[in-house]
Amino acid sequence: MILLQSPSRFLLQILQDRLLSPDKGVDLDCHSVEFDDVRYHIQFSMRNPHVVVLSVSLPIPPPEAIFFDGLPFGAIEAIKAAYGAVAQILDPPKDGYNLTMKLNLSKLPSDEGSTRFLCKIPEQRQALLVKIASVREVVLGAPLRFVLKNLATKTVAPEMDQLIALVHRPKESFFLLPQQAEKVTVIYPMRFQDSTDIVLATSFLQELIESRRTAGLNNAPSCMWSPSPPLELKGAPAQALTANAGFVTFVIFPRHVEGKKLDRTVWSLLTFHAYVSYHVKCSEGFMHTRMRRRVESLIQALDRAKPESEKSKKSVSGKSFKRLSLNEAHSNSNS
Amino acid sequence: MDAASRPAVVIDNGTGYTKMGYAGNVEPCFIIPTVVALNESFSNQSRSSAKGNWLAQHNASVMADLDFLIGEEALMRSRFSTTYNLSYPIRNGQVENWDAMERFWQQCIFNYLRCDPEDHYFLLTESPLTAPENREYTGEIMFETFNVPGLYIAVQPVLALAAGYTTSKCEMTGVVVDVGDGATHVVPVADGYVIGSSIKSIPIAGKDVTQFIQQLVKERGEHVPPEDSLEVARKVKEMYCYTCSDIVKEFNKHDRLPGKYTKQWTGVKPKTGASYTCDIGYERFLGPEIFFHPEIYGSDFITPLPVVIDKCIQSSPIDTRRALYKNIVLSGGSTMFKDFHRRLQRDLKKIVDARIMSSAARLDGDVKSQPIQVNVVSHPIQRFAVWFGGSILASTPEFYRACHTKAEYDEYGASICRTNPVFKGMY
Repeated sequence: MILLQSPSRFLLQILQDRLLSPDKGVDLDCHSVEFDDVRYHIQFSMRNPHVVVLSVSLPIPPPEAIFFDGLPFGAIEAIKAAYGAVAQILDPPKDGYNLTMKLNLSKLPSDEGSTRFLCKIPEQRQALLVKIASVREVVLGAPLRFVLKNLATKTVAPEMDQLIALVHRPKESFFLLPQQAEKVTVIYPMRFQDSTDIVLATSFLQELIESRRTAGLNNAPSCMWSPSPPLELKGAPAQALTANAGFVTFVIFPRHVEGKKLDRTVWSLLTFHAYVSYHVKCSEGFMHTRMRRRVESLIQALDRAKPESEKSKKSVSGKSFKRLSLNEAHSNSNS
Repeated sequence: MDAASRPAVVIDNGTGYTKMGYAGNVEPCFIIPTVVALNESFSNQSRSSAKGNWLAQHNASVMADLDFLIGEEALMRSRFSTTYNLSYPIRNGQVENWDAMERFWQQCIFNYLRCDPEDHYFLLTESPLTAPENREYTGEIMFETFNVPGLYIAVQPVLALAAGYTTSKCEMTGVVVDVGDGATHVVPVADGYVIGSSIKSIPIAGKDVTQFIQQLVKERGEHVPPEDSLEVARKVKEMYCYTCSDIVKEFNKHDRLPGKYTKQWTGVKPKTGASYTCDIGYERFLGPEIFFHPEIYGSDFITPLPVVIDKCIQSSPIDTRRALYKNIVLSGGSTMFKDFHRRLQRDLKKIVDARIMSSAARLDGDVKSQPIQVNVVSHPIQRFAVWFGGSILASTPEFYRACHTKAEYDEYGASICRTNPVFKGMY
């Protein structure tokens, strides 16, 4: 796995189970947490077998990112557009959550009848389930999608041409700067807790910039890394400008958000920090594998160097000393 | 926000299946086979190639590093492709391949649970016979690679006892009969402390049931493709097997009404795509029977499970024995056979009663001994009882204080994971 997947495996599994075996008489009440402090609470009761209640809590926004009623800009519209009649937003949401939705599974699109016989979920349905499972992308990515959509159609929305802060981690945000109608600059302040992680992430990012320059990636968004805040962040609040692993800047052009590319771009930009942190962990694991292999080979070398007599001392049968055969005893007494 | 305010991650790595999820839930989020499909072609190629081609070598190994799958996906992929090799990181309850294990955990955390390991405390489990070095290794991987803020390595039987917390009042004394896929342990626990010297292990576990079924099917000449036969045997075991009360009667029943007792298995040959069917008959009850009559499986080990449990209790301290007989808890997927607990209770009761009778006869009825209560407890969550116990334990506020923290690890090193307090009580 190189990229993180957008739909949450956990939600998808629960929803699919629900549809495949609707008669399984169990109440369900499950909590789950994802990276960057997105929490899910999914509830289902036997009394109302077609209704699933899904609550989502988002990371706490920093002061510079603006939330309306606990949700990012445009989230309600995005939910309505994505789920249509299946989801109904409950107001106010459950205590401690930002959004509560009532999902009516009987309203899912169905292809004529034969579903139970094949024991398989038809494609259209599956697509909508995947969409529900990627609720995080829909809600948190709503403002980003709005900006990128404008970019795709090359229109400038009013009052949308200054620096925009979007939350992506608890109390941390990344910044968007739409410039006229032809490009959007995205800037991430990268922060890590552990000192080893900082070093690895810094070199990972520098490597990323390097590999962007190779011939095959000419069409990829151009990216830059700098240890100090770039000029575009002039208007940002001071606490957003401290980052121990530098700043990454991507420039997105309309060709990156055409048609189907839009979804992927939104998700990749939204989870860039998680992506870097995943790969930092992977490379740590890889290094440990290498170290373990090295230690093994060194131990083998040591074992080979051991004199014969020492080996026989630790025999399996529990004898702690080497028994001399008659011949050896004889030669020993001679010497 | 502090890591202690988020639910802890509970991962129970078994030989056959791994159960993982968040503390506070009733069910694990995922139950997947503990298997990793590795693509070895890259790494082998890079090793043999010339040293000068550094960049290609570098790229190849970087790709291979991430090119692996776990769980059901790994099984699927290895069936249809030859470039992936299956590796089972845990054998007989012990981690054997640490590289594969580390990758397995990595996927569990990032792909399945999708959490940031720096944000959560972790509860992992180990078998009661794990060596201290292995525990250190686990700690090292968790703290070094994943940077977890806190780690607790729990002993499986203790968690299985804790799982009974909701079904009855919390009883931390009992014998845990843990029959997993790769190992069977009988572990006496007194007041939450493991009586280490009385742990009994037997070399018959779920895997042996599978192999026995495979052998029976093969000997009868059913048309199962050889490359698929182990998978079929596993599925048959999970879906159709049950425990009988008397083996002779059961044979008669099957012979009289074959239509009622014989099941059909339909599968698809992986190579040609043609479908095949085979009959499932006696192996439905003969499979689980190897716990009670091990001699039908092999001649290496012939002590039945109830006798082993009795021996285990008899070797425990005398003041705990009555309590131990009273609370025999089953855990692990291979205790899920229908009526397994009834059979176990009946056989064990027979042994205990016989002993009381003989001692009463020896004493000529001068002393009247109190009858001993034998009770085998079974509950519906047996399959992931260990995980559920972990989930309960990790949702208490005391859990966070019992954990080894990252700060401790940085200060003292991996040796903090070396000892486990639950073993200290009885020594």
